[in-house]
Amino acid sequence: MLLSKLKQAWICLKAGRVTLPYPFKPLSPPEGFRGMLDIDPNKCIGCAGCANVCTPRAIVVTDTDQDWRRIDFYLERCTYCGRCEEVCPEGAIVMTPVFEMATDDKQDLHVSIELYMGSCGRCGRCFTPVHPLDKLMNTGFREC
Amino acid sequence: MFKTLLQKSFKKSIWVYHTNAGACNGCDIEVINVLTPYYDAERFGIKLVGSPRYADALLVSGPVTRQVLPALLKLYESVPDPKLVIAVGSCAAGGGIWHDSYNILGGVDNVLPVNYYIPGCPPRPEAILHGVAVALGLVPKKISPVVHKEEKIAKWMKS
Amino acid sequence: MQTGSQLIEALMSKFGAGIERWEEPSPGKVFLTIQPDILLPVAKDLLITYGFRFLVNVGSDEVLLNGMYVVSHIFSQDRDRLFCCVRVPVNPANPVIDSITPLISGANWAEREVRDMIGVKPKNHPDPRRLILSDDWPENVYPLRKGFAYDEKPEASPDNRVKMKKPPDGARTVPIGPFFPVLEEPAYFKVFVEGEKIVGCDYRGFYSHRGIEKMGEDVLTYNQICFIAERICGICGFVHSTCYCEAVEEAAGIEVPPRVGYIRTIMLELERIHSHLLWLGIAGHIIGFDTILMQSWRIREPVMWLCEQISGNRKTYGMNLVGGVRRDIPRELHPGMLDTLTTIEKELSAVFKAIQGDTSLHSRLRNVGVIPKDVAEEFCVVGPVARGSGVDIDSRRDHFYAAYKNLDVRVSVHEGGGCWARTLVRLDELFDSVRIIRQALQDMPEGNIMAEFDDIPPYKEAVVVVEAPRGEAVHYVMTGGDNRPYRWKVRAPTYPNLQVVPDMIQNEEIADVPISIGSLDPCFSCTERMIVVDRKTDKNCMTGQDLIRLSREKTKKLKMRNTH
Repeated sequence: MLLSKLKQAWICLKAGRVTLPYPFKPLSPPEGFRGMLDIDPNKCIGCAGCANVCTPRAIVVTDTDQDWRRIDFYLERCTYCGRCEEVCPEGAIVMTPVFEMATDDKQDLHVSIELYMGSCGRCGRCFTPVHPLDKLMNTGFREC
Repeated sequence: MFKTLLQKSFKKSIWVYHTNAGACNGCDIEVINVLTPYYDAERFGIKLVGSPRYADALLVSGPVTRQVLPALLKLYESVPDPKLVIAVGSCAAGGGIWHDSYNILGGVDNVLPVNYYIPGCPPRPEAILHGVAVALGLVPKKISPVVHKEEKIAKWMKS
Repeated sequence: MQTGSQLIEALMSKFGAGIERWEEPSPGKVFLTIQPDILLPVAKDLLITYGFRFLVNVGSDEVLLNGMYVVSHIFSQDRDRLFCCVRVPVNPANPVIDSITPLISGANWAEREVRDMIGVKPKNHPDPRRLILSDDWPENVYPLRKGFAYDEKPEASPDNRVKMKKPPDGARTVPIGPFFPVLEEPAYFKVFVEGEKIVGCDYRGFYSHRGIEKMGEDVLTYNQICFIAERICGICGFVHSTCYCEAVEEAAGIEVPPRVGYIRTIMLELERIHSHLLWLGIAGHIIGFDTILMQSWRIREPVMWLCEQISGNRKTYGMNLVGGVRRDIPRELHPGMLDTLTTIEKELSAVFKAIQGDTSLHSRLRNVGVIPKDVAEEFCVVGPVARGSGVDIDSRRDHFYAAYKNLDVRVSVHEGGGCWARTLVRLDELFDSVRIIRQALQDMPEGNIMAEFDDIPPYKEAVVVVEAPRGEAVHYVMTGGDNRPYRWKVRAPTYPNLQVVPDMIQNEEIADVPISIGSLDPCFSCTERMIVVDRKTDKNCMTGQDLIRLSREKTKKLKMRNTH
């Protein structure tokens, strides 16, 4: 009985002090960690594939006008599954290693992108992004 | 002014009562993980107490279900002032996957006044430590909203 | 040995006229559609003559398909690897069905659930109270009927509070109410005591009912349900997502590449390791042994880091999709995994040796929370709770899934039925899991990690069981059109285990109640909170904090008794 108590004490002493130095030293998670989303509006083409697969339906697509499509990301609901990153054809959504997302205002977790789209000649609804050549004429060759 | 008062009152150590309002337990286990030797919240004076009457802060996880609502409101009333409510996890912050299900009332902020949100599914123990540090005013928060509108291209296309 | 076809032949010869349809879509899984009046004789035959075990009831609204509500009773036979699903159509105009609870007590909650969700009332049920829906949910509104939208929120109607049982004469009530310090998850036990001894118990749970099955049928697609299934429980989430994916793959006839099975097996066993270590810590904390809490959770951390390296997140791995997995386990990770496993094995052996000889733990756990073998079989308990009472069942060996057909699983069974037997079963399983992971890493074949398949055909059924750390999880899927299932039913392992609590704590001391319930390892998706009310003096004499304190003081008393 005493022996088992000694064995238990020995286990604790042998382990020693294992506390990680966080928060005094920054911590980087391993590669492939699914952290906060980073959305690049310049790459987004407004296909809404991410909204289709998002499990908590945190990505909401609204066509505000004939030419404008707004995509809202309600990241407070995000479950960090990574399906949007897998599905995006342009690589506009990327999961970063950021995990320190505490905030006192829920608005900090909202991302809103409004894109100018081309509209269908028949029904008038917007469905395709502005042609890359047209975009290039505006932004110039240096910015591509 | 309220913020400075809050920071003054919580200068020493903060005692926390953890409650689960219908969650899957992932966030609860990470909260208990914060007390284990690798992350050790107790060196900052943060203690998990067994009764809400001794608590300074309420850590709530999980979306609020209809059944748990009366108990949760009673619990909130029994925590003495001044108090902080911290919503841990995506379910508490915004309702998570089931924000519009028939038995769920959404995130905790539909029911109680929430002071801080710690998103994640589940949030890492380090993220919870960071969240409590932000709540105590020790570190600034690291995120801000993003709004983007393609004005330049639209102007050029229309001209 | 009996096969599915032999079973069908035997049942047809006895009940021929009453069986409307039978099919065996995969070997060993029999689906019968019978007339309601022969339900009781068929159930009796299956349970007693053929040695089947009751799993769960599924209530399904098939009015759009064939104009009836269908209640499916699922039984399993572990020796011959058979499942038998008995479908009973019920007329919507008169939704009443015979109850099989008098035959097998394990069906008690399943039938109450069908009553709550579909509205089919069990006749002659001993306890037909509301089980799942909240106290303010109106009567006659049934969520799983197809006419009810998943986000409809009916008006609160506060008069439907579940009537809890009254205590017997001379006893006090101890309400262990929704929020309890040690056990997460809200639940409400009402325990009746006389002095220190328990004389009865009642339970009101399901505070965490989130409407998962309804969402799966209404708004989510096949691939999205994998992620919601993972969040049914944060500790054994991968089990539910694997079970669901395998059920859809079986129903749709999708052949997954062999590498997928091995990857799923490795993640399942890693989950088992971290879950049992978690339980060990919590159990130690309940009896006042905080050293075990800190040390076992310290040993557990490297497993979480390993899972993070493989899958990207410490829990809720998000690796399963219908038809395969999303991430591979590349060869570069193998040496790191084997090192972590060796360290864990070494530290576990040290902990095992240290607590094996600890007589204070023995006296605290040995004859506490005893479940005799016949009671365990009557309530159909599963997992370490069953194996600790001498019932030899384990889905990994009895019903193959993932890669278990090619791996050697050693099932550990202990007699005794108390908390100590269950502790020993879990410790044995920990060592076995380490061995299985090593074997799987060695034998893993090369290949794809995702199957190629066409559209999933509608209205095909499948049942799959997977051994979670807490017991057997059952998923039933009927595929549907529109890229989502028609009906998806989940039975978590704690569901049958909790039904045995009133029998388990009868005649025990009040200080033993937290550890008895803790030794069942309730998957906090539904449990705990007790308030102790002493009937004699009739006042709230204890809070949850007091109960834990009582539990720890008893440990101290026993320690002192043993040293003198």
